[in-house]
Amino acid sequence: MPAIRIENWERFLVSILGPSSPFGQHDFIIRRIHSLVGLVPIGAYLIFHLATNAAIIDGVAAYQHRADQIHRLGPTTIFVLEWLFIFLPILFHGMIGMLIVARGERNVANYPYGGNVRYTLQRWTGAIAFVFILWHVFHMHGWIRAEWWISGVASRFGGHRFDPENAYSAAEAIRASWLIIVLYAIGVLASVYHLANGIWTMGITWGVWTSPHAQQWAKIPCLTFGLLLGFLGLGSLYAMVAAEPPQTLVAPDTANIPPAIHASPRS
Amino acid sequence: MSNTRHPHPNGEPRASQSDGRPGRNFNVVVLRQDGPGRPSYWERHIVEYEQDMNCISVLQKIAANARTADGRKVAPVAWDCNCLEEVCGACTMVINGRVRQACTALVDRLLQDNPEQIELRPMRKFPVIRDLMVDRSRMFNTLKKLKAWVPVDSYLDMGPGPRQSQENQQMAYVLSKCMSCGCCLEACPQYLKIELERKEGETEEEFHARERELHDRAFIGAMGIAAVDLFNTNPVGRMTATERLDALVAEGGIQICGNAQNCVKVCPKEIPLTTSIARAGRAATVHMLKRWFDR
Amino acid sequence: MARHRVIVVGGGLAGLAATMKLAELGVDIDLFSLTPVKRSHSCCAQGGINSVNSLTRQLGDAEWKHFDDTVYGGDFLAHQPPVKEMTEWAPRIIDLMDRLGVTFNRTPEGFRDQRRFGGTLFARTSFAGATTGQQLLYALDEQVRRWEVTAHVKKYECFDYLGPILDENGVCRGSIAQDMVSMEIRAFPADALIIASGGCGLIYGRSTMSMACTGSAVSRTFQAGARYGNGEFIQVHPTAIPGADKLRLMSESARGEGGRVWVPRKPQDPRPPQDIPEQDRYYFLEERYPKYGNLVPRDIATREIFNVCTKEGLSVENDRLCVYLDVSHLPRQLLDRKLAGILEIYEKFQGVDPRATAMKIFPAVHYSMGGLWCDYERTAEGGLNIGSPRNQQTNIPGIFAIGECDYHYHGANRLGANSLVACIFSGLITAPGAAALVQNLNGRAAAELPSTLYDRETQRHLARYKELLARPHDGENPYLIHRRLGDVMTKAATVVRHNDELDWACEQVQDLEDRARRASLSDTGNWTNQNVIFTRALVDMFPLAKTILKGARLRDECRGAHYKPEFVFPEIHATDPVQRRLEAEAWCDRFVENNRRWLKSTVASWSAEDREPLITYEDVDTSLIPPRPRLYGMVGGDIIEQVWRERGVREEAAV
Ligand SMILES: Cc1cc2nc3c(=O)[nH]c(=O)nc-3n(C[C@H](O)[C@H](O)[C@H](O)COP(=O)(O)OP(=O)(O)OC[C@H]3O[C@@H](n4cnc5c(N)ncnc54)[C@H](O)[C@@H]3O)c2cc1C
Ligand code: HEM
Ligand code: HEM
Ligand code: SF4
Ligand code: SF4
Ligand code: FES
Repeated sequence: MPAIRIENWERFLVSILGPSSPFGQHDFIIRRIHSLVGLVPIGAYLIFHLATNAAIIDGVAAYQHRADQIHRLGPTTIFVLEWLFIFLPILFHGMIGMLIVARGERNVANYPYGGNVRYTLQRWTGAIAFVFILWHVFHMHGWIRAEWWISGVASRFGGHRFDPENAYSAAEAIRASWLIIVLYAIGVLASVYHLANGIWTMGITWGVWTSPHAQQWAKIPCLTFGLLLGFLGLGSLYAMVAAEPPQTLVAPDTANIPPAIHASPRS
Repeated sequence: MSNTRHPHPNGEPRASQSDGRPGRNFNVVVLRQDGPGRPSYWERHIVEYEQDMNCISVLQKIAANARTADGRKVAPVAWDCNCLEEVCGACTMVINGRVRQACTALVDRLLQDNPEQIELRPMRKFPVIRDLMVDRSRMFNTLKKLKAWVPVDSYLDMGPGPRQSQENQQMAYVLSKCMSCGCCLEACPQYLKIELERKEGETEEEFHARERELHDRAFIGAMGIAAVDLFNTNPVGRMTATERLDALVAEGGIQICGNAQNCVKVCPKEIPLTTSIARAGRAATVHMLKRWFDR
Repeated sequence: MARHRVIVVGGGLAGLAATMKLAELGVDIDLFSLTPVKRSHSCCAQGGINSVNSLTRQLGDAEWKHFDDTVYGGDFLAHQPPVKEMTEWAPRIIDLMDRLGVTFNRTPEGFRDQRRFGGTLFARTSFAGATTGQQLLYALDEQVRRWEVTAHVKKYECFDYLGPILDENGVCRGSIAQDMVSMEIRAFPADALIIASGGCGLIYGRSTMSMACTGSAVSRTFQAGARYGNGEFIQVHPTAIPGADKLRLMSESARGEGGRVWVPRKPQDPRPPQDIPEQDRYYFLEERYPKYGNLVPRDIATREIFNVCTKEGLSVENDRLCVYLDVSHLPRQLLDRKLAGILEIYEKFQGVDPRATAMKIFPAVHYSMGGLWCDYERTAEGGLNIGSPRNQQTNIPGIFAIGECDYHYHGANRLGANSLVACIFSGLITAPGAAALVQNLNGRAAAELPSTLYDRETQRHLARYKELLARPHDGENPYLIHRRLGDVMTKAATVVRHNDELDWACEQVQDLEDRARRASLSDTGNWTNQNVIFTRALVDMFPLAKTILKGARLRDECRGAHYKPEFVFPEIHATDPVQRRLEAEAWCDRFVENNRRWLKSTVASWSAEDREPLITYEDVDTSLIPPRPRLYGMVGGDIIEQVWRERGVREEAAV
């Protein structure tokens, strides 16, 4: 281990990680996979997911319909798809992403250029997305669909609030506190920025837009995409907050008890 | 962010007027360090204003005077320079927080931006030798690793080189103006400092070998990526492009770049570094796929 | 058997060319430089590099004409065989540099583009934007790095060469150098030593040269017994930007591309230059030298600018001497493509865009034609015997001198864009000579010699270093002494020289030397002590300064860059044809007489006891092109030329 003097916490991290990459000669391929995975499946999933959520703009019924469509695949298929195309890629991208974040020394204070601000935001939004997704998946999904975990741990700590049978449960989980709403808004915006800017940097990383002129132009579709996706995300968040409870389920005696919670053995 | 560890000597006497008009004095603070591994400290100097000064003439005055603002006699500040016209790259340092050449940092402009004082410190990404002098041998090691040269057969007379279009020449010329100053590396958030200490009982050769190995594994930086771009578009250099691409995608290669694009902003020679990065990125992708299928 | 090693001091164009070629020939090299070699002074060269090319050939050019221009431009003071050989190699050198990847500007068809430079009527100068020297240097730097990877070359960057090591027979056996970081002084055994340390402009304080151009390496070799030739020939470049720390060059290429020099006809006309109409502008070079116009040789352009400001009082500014150099009439696209590099320098340092307004410029010390004396081996045809160790070897066996620090090639005045080619050429041809020398050494390799010789020299230099550190603290400041030296030298030994001023300067310099030897250091540490390096270089400036002054004092004539008004030949103003002819005859007689006395190289050797140079003179080999008057279209030049031509015909008839 080379002797490296520690000047600040970033240096400290670097001194632990070593001056070169932790992946050695495989660094390039891993970074390219990291980049690719950011777009597909993660980026694609984000678009799909926000679009799914946006169904609630048309009412809880539409949203429920969407949820049903997805869950019609059956728990095993969903389990496989979830892990293969969502959880593992995110874990891969996120963990490597955090290593990457730790291996840079941000310096916007001295070099306040647009590119540097975007770069720094890419790191911050990545880190925010990392924390957000961990929490959010716990909050809605519960991480693991095993009964002992859901009843023993997840529900106990406020997780697993989403019941696909009753998609409205998502709206209620979000509505539970203004803090949750704010956290969701931050999570949505961070993820959307991260994806939109990520697509732009991908274009450079992979050599799609090379000249300064092309790079300038490419900002326009990326920005447009980001704005649209942002509206979609925030729109569905708003619709979640504003959603009317589904009429069919409102039985007079259980009106104020959300079914998801009702169903769980929570004290 | 950067100055927190070393408090500025605000208690020391300051030049009374610092509005940069002739006949007035102004303050210069320098981050000094007596040698590698030694603590760094700020020192304030008062410099007499003259017309057409740049940071080199400021340092020359400090050297000739060799006294701090409070009158202490000190060893003159050590710094590097040679051409004084921004072509050799020697005098690179961080001036008022931004990396640049001292010889083209005109005092009038600096005082316009900050009439209080001029702040000089060594580059952060390279080991300090003394005061404002740093050891940039890593850059030259990078050029070795990247085989940044045209591999001619011999220096005998073989007639002229291949004909080239004006367009090609223009592009190559711009890239080959790189003077290895290190600005692009200093400003790059992905380029990290490597500083080794010589172990006990280690010979100089062993030390340099160890250093070289470490340099070879760390980020090549924008200047290295642009060098690959330059030599891989040269009609003869292209013949050995694979070797350079191998180095480009090896450890410390182009993948470390995070597209902050500071490099292109601070490069004094206005080298289109991000264009090179994108072009090299494309070449690296193709190279990777080729290597993958050729296995 | 230990392998032979060669030491190269200096990593400019000359040093790198020699290193690269030596490595190819299988010799191991230790390369020393004050700065990383990529930062050597050669990177400052802007304008270009000369050679005959296929384009000029079709306009009647030939190697011989390049040779003739060089010799004529240098007022016949250069030995002709090396110059002839150089001009013959020049096209091949450009080809080689082209192959090494130098980004020479191109024509639309893809050929190398050329521009015209001073002192010639042909567009011989290849260029890479306005940073040709940089591009050439980088190409060589890259090649040397290639040999570094294969361990043929070992670089010692940030090392100060302190002097050669000579054995009891006076043969060079290595050198002493100091690590400028750790301050360690070490001996480096070697079988040959090549000095390629560039110019000595810092003796003049401010010049167009870089901060490493102290001449220290040359001075140390000179003090060790090497001879020094033509010291008094210092080129002052006509166009530089006056500055507080450096006089930044505005390359001749600005004029080569069509830039014009002028002053307002009305002294200190307050109007901005772009508002001064044509009829109020005095294009004095074009008016006085219609044939060459703005591209007269440098010494002439310099003197005219100097005179227009001092004698005629037409300086653009009141309190500062300067004239206009104007490119604002040229198309922007051309300026950006061919001159961007130098125009940016002006803009960066003066804050004015020279594409829009005329630049203010004034002459500045630029180049030393003189340098270490060195030998050559002539062939019967008048060229050089390539591969002979005599080429570029100084009078000390085993020490070679190449590049700006040798005294060949430029005579009394260097033509623009001829130095880069001379540097690369001398480097390339020295390699086979030095290789032959070390490979045929009939004795032991230096690496096998007993260490006593090396220890003794190390101790001697260590003692000198310790003495510097131990000086009392109340002495004078070496930086101020240096400034004073620069002022004295600039006043007495630049554009116009007077004997009384030179005498005064000799005294001043002696006094300054005594003071420098007592000057005290403000840094007495033993780590990266720049004070020591500077003070030692300052002390070593005096032998060269004295050589320049003494050579100038003794040379009572005008030749190239050396100009003493007292010895100017009169111009011919007579209108009566008979009178004109008589005057021209007298002029020619005087010319012949003067050449008999002064067409000689000044050769100095250092006397350590007196701390004075001893001056002798050496005949110049003018066997290929007989000397003729250097007129460049001066008033009355036509009749002198005619008389001279007729004499030549008569002489030939007599033979
Ligand atoms: C501004 C400018 C523009 C010019 N433009 C042109 C042009 O357009 N065309 C042209 O033909 N010529 C031009 N010239 C002249 C030409 O650039 C130089 O003559 C030439 O570059 C000298 O090269 P060199 O290899 O001899 O030495 P340099 O390039 O000066 O290198 C000297 C080397 O010696 C080393 N050295 C010196 N002292 C020591 C020491 N004590 N110990 C160790 N190392 C030492 C230095 O570190 C350096 O590496 C120009 C000159 C200037 C100043
Ligand atoms: C889970 C936490 C995440 C972290 C820590 C993270 C981190 C990062 C980092 C550091 C980069 C920059 C990589 C580089 O410059 O080489 C990056 C790029 C990228 N990320 Fe993420 N990210 C996360 C989640 C996401 C998500 C959820 C998406 C999709 C919405 C995503 C999509 C992308 C894309 C497309 C890129 C661009 C890759 C490139 O420039 O080549 N990331 N991520
Ligand atoms: C408007 C804001 C959002 C809402 C309302 C929302 C809602 C939900 C719901 C209800 C689930 C549970 C699905 C299930 O268990 O089947 C879920 C899961 C998930 N969400 Fe979100 N989400 C939002 C934003 C985001 C964002 C910005 C991301 C970041 C990429 C994200 C990533 C995920 C992931 C990875 C899962 C788990 C995958 C799965 O269960 O199949 N969500 N989300
Ligand atoms: S674009 Fe890449 S190389 Fe340039 S500053 Fe950013 S991270 Fe560094
Ligand atoms: S690319 Fe530009 S900033 Fe980087 S080292 Fe070269 S000249 Fe300096
Ligand atoms: S001294 Fe050469 S770049 Fe500043």
